Amino acid sequence: MAIKVGDEFPQVQLKYVPYDAAAPDACGAPQLLDTKNNLEGKKVVLVGVPGAFTPTCSAKHLPPFVAKADELKAKGVDLIVCVSGNDFFVMDAWGKQEKVTDKILMAGDANGDLGRATGLSIDLSVAGLGAVRLTRFAAIVDSGKVIHLGVEPDPTEVTVTGADSILSAL
Amino acid sequence: MSIKVGDIFPDAVLTYVPYDAKNPEACGLPQQLKTHAAFKGKKVVLFAVPGAFTPTCSEEHMPGYVQSVGEMKRKGADIVACVASNDQFVMHAWGKSYNVKDDILMLSDANGDLGSALGLVNDGTARRMGPIRLARFAIIIDDLKVVYVGVEPAPGVTVSGAPAVIAKL
Repeated sequence: MAIKVGDEFPQVQLKYVPYDAAAPDACGAPQLLDTKNNLEGKKVVLVGVPGAFTPTCSAKHLPPFVAKADELKAKGVDLIVCVSGNDFFVMDAWGKQEKVTDKILMAGDANGDLGRATGLSIDLSVAGLGAVRLTRFAAIVDSGKVIHLGVEPDPTEVTVTGADSILSAL
Repeated sequence: MSIKVGDIFPDAVLTYVPYDAKNPEACGLPQQLKTHAAFKGKKVVLFAVPGAFTPTCSEEHMPGYVQSVGEMKRKGADIVACVASNDQFVMHAWGKSYNVKDDILMLSDANGDLGSALGLVNDGTARRMGPIRLARFAIIIDDLKVVYVGVEPAPGVTVSGAPAVIAKL
């Protein structure tokens, strides 16, 4: 059963390569992100995408979050995390291509832990993307509690999971 | 038990995004590649990496092939292809970052079918890389028959690297 508003956000470990402003093209040392311990007491926007470097995700979903990151932070968001079923090296490379710098933490859920824990995983093997991918979603998690959740009814589109939709929910 | 010299290369379905010379920045439509149909009657160099955009693969393994693909084709290789467990969009983007155009086919084995058929797949969950990851290897296939297999025994690039393959062509 999928996660819903009012639930405690599950505790899983994601992985990411931190942005290094002194060496923006470097592939830094990966870090773990524990969704409970590292997000404690914070207001977090979590954006799930089916695939890095895929058309919809690259053209329609991620860029508006990059463009509006400051606006989101002005409305009280401490951290924006983009996560997919890709591994963290791929997410890092995609983030570099999309020039996210330190605006968005690009995390990988290659083991499928977040997908399974939230019930938001989708089988995309028929599209060649593997059996445990995240569907397109955007959540606002405040001090560990889900206070807003948009799950895209058609994952090839961006409506309730887009930056504007999240801004108006803040 | 993993593939060895003398075996027939398995028939597997891989995916890729073809290079479009007219529209090199576009992300084209993914296509399927069935290994038997695509490789029949041809000499193929197929090298596999654990992960696109990862340090060893990007810095030590792929560049050798990008530099030597011309030489490999002069020595008789009809197709030079790179395969990984990443999906076809990731493989396409990684290939673009090296400007491979259509010199190297960037193939995806995201479902792990080829890896399992070859017996050359590892579990990457401990490193948070997911349960299905191809090992690092290079295989030379001649009309579907495996004539060289170099499976990397340890981290690093030796028997699966471009120089090792060129020596066998």
